[in-house]
Amino acid sequence: MTALLTLNNISKKFFTEEIETKAISGINLIINKGEYISLSGQSGCGKSTLLSLLGLLDSPTSGEYHLNGTDVSLMTRDQRAKIRSEQIGFIFQSFNLISDLTVFENVMLPLTYQTGIDKKVIEEKVSSVLEKVEMLHRKNHFPSQLSGGQQQRVAVARALVNDPTIILADEPTGNLDSKNAEAVLALLDKLHQEGATICMVTHDPASAKRADRCLEMFDGRLISDQQNIRVNKPIELVAS
Amino acid sequence: MPIIIDIKYAIRLLFKSPKFTAMTLMVLVGGLSISLFTFSFLYSTLYKDLPLPEGDTALSISAMINGDYSLLTPYEFAHLKSEQTVLEEFGVYDDKNYRLSFGDAGKNIPGSNVDEGFFRFSRTSPLLGRTIVKEDMQVGATAVAVISFQVWQNELAASEEVLNETLVVNDVVTEIIGVMPEGYRFPGTAKIWLPLSDDDLNLAADAGNYFYSYGRIKAAGEHAQALLELNSLLDNIYQQNVALYDLEKGKKSLQLLTFPFAQTGGEGTIIFAFLNAIAWMILLLACINVGNLLLARSIERQKETAIRAALGATNKRLISQLMWEGIIITTLGGVLSVLLVGAALHYTNIILHSWMPDGMVFWWQWGMDRETIVMAIIFTLATIFLSSFLPAWRSANQDINSTLRDGTRGAQSKKAGRLSRFLVTTQVFLVAILMLIGAMSAFISLKFINLDLGDDYTNVMTARINLPVGKYPEPEQKIAFYQNLLEELKSHPKVVDVVTNNWMGESELTMDNMDYPSDYEKPKVDVIGTMGKTSTIGVNLLEGRYISHLDKEGSRKIAMISQSMAKRYWPGESVLGKYFKVEINGENEKLFIIAVVTDRLNPRTILGKIDSADEIYISGFQFSNNFQAVYYRIHGDLAQTEEIFYQALFKADRNLDLFYPVQPAMKNRSLMRDVMSLVSNLTFSTGFFALLLALVGIYGLTANSVAQRTHEIGIRRAVGATDKNIVQMFLKQGRAQLIRGLGLALVLFALLAFAFNKFSESMFPVYLYAVLALTVVVGLSCVVMLAIYAPTRRAVKMEPSSALRYE
Repeated sequence: MTALLTLNNISKKFFTEEIETKAISGINLIINKGEYISLSGQSGCGKSTLLSLLGLLDSPTSGEYHLNGTDVSLMTRDQRAKIRSEQIGFIFQSFNLISDLTVFENVMLPLTYQTGIDKKVIEEKVSSVLEKVEMLHRKNHFPSQLSGGQQQRVAVARALVNDPTIILADEPTGNLDSKNAEAVLALLDKLHQEGATICMVTHDPASAKRADRCLEMFDGRLISDQQNIRVNKPIELVAS
Repeated sequence: MPIIIDIKYAIRLLFKSPKFTAMTLMVLVGGLSISLFTFSFLYSTLYKDLPLPEGDTALSISAMINGDYSLLTPYEFAHLKSEQTVLEEFGVYDDKNYRLSFGDAGKNIPGSNVDEGFFRFSRTSPLLGRTIVKEDMQVGATAVAVISFQVWQNELAASEEVLNETLVVNDVVTEIIGVMPEGYRFPGTAKIWLPLSDDDLNLAADAGNYFYSYGRIKAAGEHAQALLELNSLLDNIYQQNVALYDLEKGKKSLQLLTFPFAQTGGEGTIIFAFLNAIAWMILLLACINVGNLLLARSIERQKETAIRAALGATNKRLISQLMWEGIIITTLGGVLSVLLVGAALHYTNIILHSWMPDGMVFWWQWGMDRETIVMAIIFTLATIFLSSFLPAWRSANQDINSTLRDGTRGAQSKKAGRLSRFLVTTQVFLVAILMLIGAMSAFISLKFINLDLGDDYTNVMTARINLPVGKYPEPEQKIAFYQNLLEELKSHPKVVDVVTNNWMGESELTMDNMDYPSDYEKPKVDVIGTMGKTSTIGVNLLEGRYISHLDKEGSRKIAMISQSMAKRYWPGESVLGKYFKVEINGENEKLFIIAVVTDRLNPRTILGKIDSADEIYISGFQFSNNFQAVYYRIHGDLAQTEEIFYQALFKADRNLDLFYPVQPAMKNRSLMRDVMSLVSNLTFSTGFFALLLALVGIYGLTANSVAQRTHEIGIRRAVGATDKNIVQMFLKQGRAQLIRGLGLALVLFALLAFAFNKFSESMFPVYLYAVLALTVVVGLSCVVMLAIYAPTRRAVKMEPSSALRYE
C-alpha cells in the first residue's frame, strides 16, 4: 500500500498566558491510501488536536508531516489553505454549515476557493455529491430547515465535493440519534468502499469497529494501533 | 452584593482590554463634549435670564417694517407711550460710543443715552451718588454722566472724590453724578450713561432718529394680548405718517423679546435648534458607534451570557450585568466631558472677552453652570440607554438554546446585517459631506487669509462717519465737513496723509467704441468716491495726478482708473485725457481719466474672482456722500493716535457720532483673518473628529460582524479559504457601503459646488472641486478599508481550529 500521510514525532503544545499544555507528543503515524481509520480515546486525550493537525487546521509545534510525499509541516497558511481546499474533506460533529447559505451554496464552498473551475463543472459536482447523499431535493433549503441527520449529510457532501485525498471526520455521529448516525456511518462505509481514505474520531466502539484500523490515544500519545476485521454492513441510507 | 460582583467583573473586563476602553472612552468624551459645549454655549448666549433683579420680565422692544428690523422713532414712542395700556416702565435709550479725552490722549468707551426711568427699570441702585433724573434731560441742563465701576477703577483710579470730578466726554466737560455697581453694563455693553435730551425726544415724525426701547408687561402671561394692542397702535401711528412724509409703505409692528434673545434679532430658537441638532447628531453617531463596540463585546461573550441564563439568571439580572461595562465607561466619559467642557467654556470666555473687550454684552459669561450639569446628566443617561442598555437587552434576549447547542453557525441575522450596512453607509455619507464641506471652507479661509488686497494699511488709522441727513442735507455741507476734517487731520505733525473712501458699488461701464447687445452685457467696474491721496492706503499713482479739491462740482468730471482697466481697454496706450461713461446715482456720467493707479481688490467682492472688476476712483468733491471711511497714515507707531482724529472731528462737528470708532485699519482685517483661521481650524477639527468617529464606528461595526462570523471564518478556512479570500469577503461587503455612501455624498457635493461656483463667480477653478472630491474619496476609502481590514485581519490570524472552537 502507498503511504498517503506520514507523521514523524509530531507534538503540539498550547500556550495560554504562562501555562503550557501539551496536547499531543511524539506521534508517529502512517496512513495509507484507501484506509479507513478510527481514532478513539478518552476525552481530552488529543484526538481532535491530532485531527486538526492532519487536516492542516493547525500546525505542529515540532515534528514532520508529509502528505502525499510533500512536507506540509512548514507550509505557509495560504499553502495549507490550498491543500485543504483541494485534498482534504472535513466532517464535523457540529456540522458547521453556514446558516445564511443554502445547502447547495454550503456544498459548493470548497470549490469556490479553488481557481479555474468552470461554473458548470461546479454545479455538476455539487449536484452529484448531493445526489450521492440523497439531499439534492433539498438543495435550496437553508440549514435551519433541515434535521440534524440531513445537515450532517450535507456536511458529508461538502467534504466530498472536492474529491479529497482524505476525509477527516470528527465524531460525525456525536450529535445524531442512532438512526441518523447509522445512515452517516453507512455513507462513510460506502465512500470507503469506493476508495476514499477516511480518518474518523469517535468515542463509540461500534463505530470504531467499522474501520480497517483502530488507533487509540491516551494523554496525547498513540497507545494502540490495531487492524480490524471489518464487519460489513449492508449500505443503506436512512432518510430522516 | 451581586451588583458589586458585576461591577468588579465589568471593571476587570475594561482593564483587560485597555485599547478598547481607551477608544470607547475617546469617542464618548468627544461626542458628549461637542454636544454639551454647543448646548451650554448657546443656552448661556440666548436663554439665560438677564443677571439683574427681575431680569426675566425685562423686555427689549424693537420694531419691524415689512419683516425688516427697525426701531421706534421718538415721535412713535411718545404717541405709543401716551396711548398704550399694557406696558409699565416703557422707556427708550440709545447706544453710543463716547470719547473720553485726557489731554492729548483719550479712549473710546461704549455707553448709552438713557431716560430717567432706565435705572429704575434695571432694578439697580448706584454704588455711589445718584442716577439720571428728569431735570438732567432738560435742554440746557448741566452735562452729567453715570459711570461704571470699571471706568471708576481704571480711568479715575477709584477716587473717593469721584462725585466731585469731571470727565471730558466727546469734548464736553461732564460732571460725574454716580457710579454703578461692579459688573453692571445694562443694556448691554455700556460703561457710561448720559441723559437723553428732551430735544432728542421731541422730534417730528420724519426726523430720522431711532431709539431702542424697553418695558415690562403689566399683566404677566399676557404677552400676546399686549403685542396685539401695541401693534395696532403703532401701525396706526405709522400709517398716518407714511403718506405725510413719504415713508416706506408697509406694516410696522413690534417685537417683545428678552434682552438676551433680542441679541439674535429673535432668530435664536432657529440657531439653537439647528446647532444643537448637529451636535446631537454627532452624539447619536458616537452612541451608535460605542453601542456597536459594546455589542461586539457582548456577542463575544454570548456563550457566557447563555450559560448564565441557563444557570438561572433572570433577564433583568443579565441586562444589568451586561450594562455595567457601558455604565462605567459612559459615566467616566460624562465626568471627563464635564471637566473638558468646563475648561473649554472658561477659555472660550477668556478668548472672546479678550477679542472684544468692550463689545460683549455683560450677560455673556460662559462657564460650567447648573443647566450644563443637568444637561450632562441627561446626555449621559441617554448615552447609557443607547449604547449600553440596547446592546445588553439584545444580548440578554438571545435564544439560549441555539447558543448553547452546537448547530449551524454563521453570519448575523439578515435584519442586523441590513442595519449594520445602513449605519456604515450613513456614516460614510455624513463624514464625506463633512470632509468635503470642511475642505471647501478651509480653502476659502486659506484664500482669505493669504489674500493680497492690493492696499497697504501699515501705520494707517481709520474711522467711519455717516453724516445725519437732517443735519447735512446739501452736498456742499457734506463736502465742506469732510474737507474740514481732512485738513484738520493733515495739519497734525504726526499725520503723513489722509484720504476718504466710499465704495459706491458696481456700475455698468460704457465705452464709445464698443457695442453691447444689452445693458446686461456691459462690463462692470467698482466705483469708489474719494477725497485726498489714495497713496495713504497704498493705492499708488502710476501715471497722471491725484484727485484734488479743485476737481469739484462744476468742473469737468474726472476719474482715476486702475492699472487693470487701463490695460484691458487701452493696451499700450496712454489713457490720460481719454473718457468713458459710468452710471453713478442713476445718471450716466462721462468721466475723463486723470490718472492710473495700482490695482486693488475690493473686499466686498471677496467671493468673486480676483480682479474680476476694475476700479475707478471718482472725486468726492463732485459726487458727495454722507458716508465716508476716513484713513490717515501716521509717522511712526500708532500709539495714542486715535485722539488726533477725535480732536479733528470735534473741531469739525462736536456733536457728531462715529459710525465706527477709530482704530488701526489693520485691526478689522486681522480680526477677520483670526476668525477665518478659527473657522478653518474648527472645521478641520470637526472633520477630523467625524473621521475618527467614522473610523471607530466602522471598526466597531466590522468587529461586531467579524465577531459574529468568527466561526464561519473557521468553517470557510477549513474548507480551503485563504486569508486573502476571507479579507476580500469582508472588504467586498464594506466596498458596497462605501460606494453608496460616497456616491450620495458626491452627488450632494456636486450640487453644492455648482451653486457655490455660481455664487462666488468661479472663485475656484472647476478642477479644484474634482481634486477635492478625489482626495476625499481616496482618503475616506483608505480609512474605511483600514477600519474593515483591522478586525478582519485579527480574526483571520486565528488558526482555523481555534476559529472552529470559537464560542
